[in-house]
Amino acid sequence: MIDLNRTRRLVLLPLLAAVALAAGCAQEQTRYGDERSIETVTNQFSSTDLQMIAESMTRSMLQSPAIVSGNLPIVTVQEVKNKTSEYIDTRAVTDSIRSELQKSGKVRFAVDAAAMQQQVEEVERQQGEYYDKDETAEKGRMVGAQYRMEGNIISIVKQAKDIRDVYYKFNLQLWNVRNGLLEWSDEKEIRKTTTKG
Amino acid sequence: MNRTWTIIALLAVVFAYGCATKKGFEKPGFAFGCPIGDAKVSSMDDLVKVKVLSEGKRTTIVATEMRCTMTGDLLKIDVNLNNDSSKVKRVAYKFRWIDREGMRAWEEEVWKPLLMYENSNIAVSGVAPTNKAVDFRLILLSQE
Repeated sequence: MIDLNRTRRLVLLPLLAAVALAAGCAQEQTRYGDERSIETVTNQFSSTDLQMIAESMTRSMLQSPAIVSGNLPIVTVQEVKNKTSEYIDTRAVTDSIRSELQKSGKVRFAVDAAAMQQQVEEVERQQGEYYDKDETAEKGRMVGAQYRMEGNIISIVKQAKDIRDVYYKFNLQLWNVRNGLLEWSDEKEIRKTTTKG
Repeated sequence: MNRTWTIIALLAVVFAYGCATKKGFEKPGFAFGCPIGDAKVSSMDDLVKVKVLSEGKRTTIVATEMRCTMTGDLLKIDVNLNNDSSKVKRVAYKFRWIDREGMRAWEEEVWKPLLMYENSNIAVSGVAPTNKAVDFRLILLSQE
């Protein structure tokens, strides 16, 4: 009888310890990471891709004659078409490019089509009786852009049994609004390959 | 006889001048077009030692050549990286931009991954994001 209890205890104790250990391992842990580190969780469009594209396009555009020789050229941001098979927030890419260019102090940005409605609403709101007429924004005082920025992103995805290859090509262009000339264009290519096993 | 000696002397002066101009083409505080401040740089190896840093796991990829120039009012850098091993290597790099006071002139760049084939060279370029950036460091991180 004593021996049976002892045997049970001997079996149960390591079992309980193993369960406790497994429960401990399963516990979630959250930590802050480096937002600029290379992210390779999957081979879909990643934060690293977005940051690399924004950085590469900005640095290239800063060397373009339109910006080097210009007197703080005024640019408006148009659409970057997503021609890939996955969802990519291309607005986030152009927002990053715009922020970097604005911070460089070499480019000014005019209100773009997406923000036009809010701009018009604000100007009209200021025409109301509650505002000081000498301080309010008048209609017909907005400045038009000299250049418009647009682009597209494409992808080629190839998948075999144990391999998935993704190729992205991001193209950005700067068009002269007055004469329709292409003033600058550049591309950034990215290739990512995931293998199993 | 006198004329011969004069010609020889003149040639020697011209030759010496030629050498002197070749050596002294850099502005003070610059080497190979790159800003070096007060650092003593007399060769490409010295320049690479001053400008290239390693973070995290050390990589066997080395910078072998580096040249700087100005594009408009922005500093532009070309660096030659070398993988002299017989294996494909993965490395990441970024530039760190420094202003006149030695402070960071810009936020940290994104790490840019690079694949290097065995026994190969690759040239990477960097352009300063602002004209406040007057100096730089190239930072390498192993991705092995």
